[in-house]
Amino acid sequence: MTDTAVAAQARTTLPQDVALVDLLDRLLGTGVVLAGDVVVSLAGVDLVRIRLQALLMTVRGPEEEL
Amino acid sequence: MAERPDRDTGRIGLYLYAIGRGIDDDALAHTSGLREAPLRVLEHRGLAAVVSDVDLDEFGEDGLRRNLEDLHWLEDVARTHDAVVRAATGVGPTAPLRLATVCFDEDQVRSRVEQWHGPLVRALDRVDGRAEFSVKAYASLAEPAAAGSPAARSGPGAGAAYLQRRKEETRRREQSGQDAAHDAEELYSALSEHAVARRRLQPQDPRLTKHEGTMVLNAAYLIGADEPFADTVAAEASRWPELRVEVIGPWPPYSFATLEEQ
Repeated sequence: MTDTAVAAQARTTLPQDVALVDLLDRLLGTGVVLAGDVVVSLAGVDLVRIRLQALLMTVRGPEEEL
Repeated sequence: MAERPDRDTGRIGLYLYAIGRGIDDDALAHTSGLREAPLRVLEHRGLAAVVSDVDLDEFGEDGLRRNLEDLHWLEDVARTHDAVVRAATGVGPTAPLRLATVCFDEDQVRSRVEQWHGPLVRALDRVDGRAEFSVKAYASLAEPAAAGSPAARSGPGAGAAYLQRRKEETRRREQSGQDAAHDAEELYSALSEHAVARRRLQPQDPRLTKHEGTMVLNAAYLIGADEPFADTVAAEASRWPELRVEVIGPWPPYSFATLEEQ
């Protein structure tokens, strides 16, 4: 069923091929969260904020504020 | 239960990658943890927590706050985390942990597994023998009205014509966006027929991905491990020729091994 005329591009990915943004979507946005006071993990909201800041800093350069 | 230390300096913590079933030390012998640390499996009531030692200077609360702002650090840790999760997924059903979950000792890991045992078992049952696929769809929307100063240089008539033109362009773009959103919704539903579970993620920012067009769908599907889902997506996507559709997978079940509230 590999019809080249169809619009979808399918690819099987090796870990090093995975786009960082796709990976962070999953590693920061979902996944099991073991909540509790003994787990050192920042609140999800904080991580999302940090993620965007870190990535946008790189894309835009550090001189530009979010 | 150990008290949380005031300072992390020189202390060792345990980084949790995933919790699964049927995973043992031997199965992970060829995969390294963060900073090349060996992986260990902590067993508790039939579940296996995959961990490695980390320096709390780097992975303690202060270290994480500092390091998560560093994209290279973040990428390095994310890719190592993913590699460990993929190795575990290859051995048995696996629930990946969110990035940067760190405990202070083995007792804390076990007490977390104990606390969440029921939801973990149910999450593992849900993803056993299944994999996640990402499906993204992009649309080429009508060009946005060109930015510029209001064209007032040729008198009042030109200004009115300009405003009319802007209004028309805005309307066309809105219509085009609504059409694309409708197509994306239909594609999302059509693919759901082939999936065990589905989930929509936020569309990604083009400044991060540099993709062309507008991302109108960023979805995750949970699929039986042996099903040819990429072929299915290609076949279904041909019904919406205006959309460019990309499928990536299989992923570990990141979006579906989530714990329901206790």
